[in-house]
Amino acid sequence: METHENMANGRSEDPAKTIGERVGRVSDTAQEAWDRTRDAMSDIKRAADIDGRVERNPYGTVAAALGIGFVLGGGLFTPLTARIVGLGIRIGVRLALLPMLKDQISELADTVGGDMGMGTSSKRRRGGKAAKTGEGS
Amino acid sequence: MTEQIEATVREVGERVRPQIDEAKRRLSSLDETVTGYIKENPGKCLLGALAVGFLIGKIARRAA
Repeated sequence: METHENMANGRSEDPAKTIGERVGRVSDTAQEAWDRTRDAMSDIKRAADIDGRVERNPYGTVAAALGIGFVLGGGLFTPLTARIVGLGIRIGVRLALLPMLKDQISELADTVGGDMGMGTSSKRRRGGKAAKTGEGS
Repeated sequence: MTEQIEATVREVGERVRPQIDEAKRRLSSLDETVTGYIKENPGKCLLGALAVGFLIGKIARRAA
C-alpha cells in the first residue's frame, strides 16, 4: 500500500536508501573537492617554487606571507600601514643620507683644514718675513 | 685616572663577555631551531603567517 502510494507520488525508492545515497554522494563530492584543492595547492606550490624559496630564505617567505595576509585582511589603507611606511621611509632616508652627509662633512672638514693649514703657513711665512725684516731693521 | 678607567672598562668587559657569548649561542640555536621548523613545515608556517597577517589586517581595519 505504502509502496503503491510512493509510486503514485513518484517516490518509488526507500527513504533510508535515498538518504544513504545522498550522504554517499555528498561524501564523494567533498572528497573530489578536497583532491582538486590539494592538486591545485601542489600546482601553485610547484609554480611559485615555494619549497625552494622557503629553503633559500625562510624568514623572508614567512614575512611575505604575513604581508599578503595583512593586505587580504584589509589592513593596507589604515593608519597602522601609514605609520609603518612612514617609519620605513624615515629610516631609509636616514640610511641613505647619512653616508652622503658624512662624505660632505669630511670633504668640508678637509677643505677647511687645508685652508687653515695654508693660512697658518702663510702667516708663519709672513711672521718669518716680519721677523727677518725686524731682525734686519 | 685614565689607567683606572681603562682597567674598570676592561674588567667590566671581561665580566660581561661570557654572558654576551652565551646570549649569542642561544640566539644562534634559536635561529637554527626556527629555520629548521620552517623548512620542515613550510605549508603550515606560511598558512599560519597568512592567517596571522589577515587577523592583524582585520584588527587594524577595525581600529581605524
